[in-house]
Amino acid sequence: MYVEFLGIPRERAGISELEVEAATLGQLLGTLAATCPALREFITADGLHPSIAANLNGDAFVRDPETRLAKGDRLLILSADAGG
Amino acid sequence: MPSGYHGSYLRIDVSSGRAERVPLSDTVLRHYIGGSGLGARLLLDEGGATADPLSPEAPLVFAFSPLVGSPLTTSAKFAVVARSPLTGRFNDSLASSGFALAGKRCGCDAIVIVGCVPTWSVLVVDDGEIRLEPAGDVLGDPCHVAEEKLRARLGADYRIASIGPAGERGVRYATISHDGRHAGRGGSGAVLGSKHVKAIAVRGTQRCDWAHPRKLTELSRDLSKRSFGPATAKYRELGTATNLLTFNRFGALPTRNFQSGTFEEAASLAPEQLSVAHARTRASCVACTIGCEHIYALPSTALTEGEPRRGVRLEYESMFALGSLCGVGDGDAVLRASRRCDELGIDTISAGGTIAFAMECVERGLLDEPWLTFGSGDAVLKAIDLIGRRDGVGRMLAEGSRRAAEVIGQGSIAFAPQVKGLEIPGYEPRALQTMALGFAVGARGADHNRSGAYEVDFSDKVDRRHATLDSVRHAIDTEDKAALMDSLILCKFLRGVFTDFHAEAADMLQAVTGWDVTADELRETARRIVASKRQVNLLAGWTPDEDTLPERFLDAPLPGDAAALLTRERLQELVAEYHRQRGW
Repeated sequence: MYVEFLGIPRERAGISELEVEAATLGQLLGTLAATCPALREFITADGLHPSIAANLNGDAFVRDPETRLAKGDRLLILSADAGG
Repeated sequence: MPSGYHGSYLRIDVSSGRAERVPLSDTVLRHYIGGSGLGARLLLDEGGATADPLSPEAPLVFAFSPLVGSPLTTSAKFAVVARSPLTGRFNDSLASSGFALAGKRCGCDAIVIVGCVPTWSVLVVDDGEIRLEPAGDVLGDPCHVAEEKLRARLGADYRIASIGPAGERGVRYATISHDGRHAGRGGSGAVLGSKHVKAIAVRGTQRCDWAHPRKLTELSRDLSKRSFGPATAKYRELGTATNLLTFNRFGALPTRNFQSGTFEEAASLAPEQLSVAHARTRASCVACTIGCEHIYALPSTALTEGEPRRGVRLEYESMFALGSLCGVGDGDAVLRASRRCDELGIDTISAGGTIAFAMECVERGLLDEPWLTFGSGDAVLKAIDLIGRRDGVGRMLAEGSRRAAEVIGQGSIAFAPQVKGLEIPGYEPRALQTMALGFAVGARGADHNRSGAYEVDFSDKVDRRHATLDSVRHAIDTEDKAALMDSLILCKFLRGVFTDFHAEAADMLQAVTGWDVTADELRETARRIVASKRQVNLLAGWTPDEDTLPERFLDAPLPGDAAALLTRERLQELVAEYHRQRGW
């Protein structure tokens, strides 16, 4: 599956997307914390910092670390505050 | 009188050149706090709900707040409140910085201006004493030039709020500018211009005391510390313009007058790309620790002969409105267009919305201006200049998209991008349906600052493309929260740092005023403030059929996203439920 970064997560990760293997959102966040240390500020023991949001395939926003992920999914990680 | 207040407002009749202090009761202050809330109350008290917005009788309110002048970060803000010449409905627009501090030091909690000066003037408020000076030497000047000249003339300790040429010519979405920022939406600049007041200069020495200074200092330190954290990183590091790529990815970036939710050239407008080729600096409002302003300079190689080197403050709303909404992907063209709007004193959202509407009319053969085509940065710049001068087609476009649609006819009102006459900001309603409800019911029209419902759409609380009745309470919550922040006043970019906003706001207000205010009381206050805006609208002639969206957004999916469909019936249900929950 692919992770797409937008906003501050992209700025910190220094890349716009990344291919990873993960069965759950929690696993994926653990992998990200290991591979992109700059993102650790936004990854907590419970999942994502409230300032960051995750969205599956442009459809549903997800936060539960137990959220199942499938091969071919695209997880978008973005700044939660969409205001302008 | 509670601490944090002066207990009166300054009522200035510029026709006679006289001012009087009008007492404000403790009850009024506690019920409406300041900013938008106090402004709404004063607008009602001064008869502003029924007066023609451009008549001498129409009041224009500059409202400060108890927090102004305190050490609380982002609290140096003021609200400009009037009946809008664009919508005919309630309008409040906020701006920041030294004008709020200096205005409050004049010894008043608000300044209300009525009347009309026979000749163009500058209104000087010097520690509460007023005088009118000729404005001849600044008439026609861009906002920032007028401000510089007036400070040179009057003294560096004055703070100036000025209109640009657009306000002088009655463009219905003209702004009032201060220190490069604008009280932007709804045309308060045209209201000031109708009074023949080019600018207001304020300075003063009268400070308020704080009820619990030690506690206030502790709260201020804590808030400042949190304002440096991850909740504000987006604003600090990239600015609001980073929304472009995010919204584009979600199919929520209004493009070519809302004909699409994605723009193929979005990347070229995004700050991530712009900052590669353009020098970028950051700036803050006075008393702000976030520093959200990102100022871009055009590359020297791109400057034309005589073109100013001045940088351009860039926000998402300006980039979307003058960029994707007009189909323009040339970053330099959008920077120039944004700078020109700032100089003329024009709201970038309404300018972009009205120009994009006209472009679609040209595309459909409804308007004979063949140069005005989607994708042309030159056309956007030319249209802005014509609007600022009220010249040619600019005469019609200076009236906003709703009035332009009334002139053009032929069913064009169906795709005029407005609610209650106010052009829709950069959130595609079909893709963000809680926001669609927020737009439909907003007292000042389609607006992202008075309804923060997009926050809900970008969360796991709702399905953003399928609003249900459960969405309504979320829309109400964000509207109430915005009303409270706009009355305290605190910058909305702080909202992510609070764990319990109402409780923390109550602590702050208690430290400043000494009131034993609670979170529940503030929730009630927020509802009262929202209701007072509605009261203005009711008196101004509001009818239920205004709480809707243009035909374009109803019963047909957003092109390219079949799931983004909002039916008329669903919107009507949402609006009816909103009114029911409000008790209206």
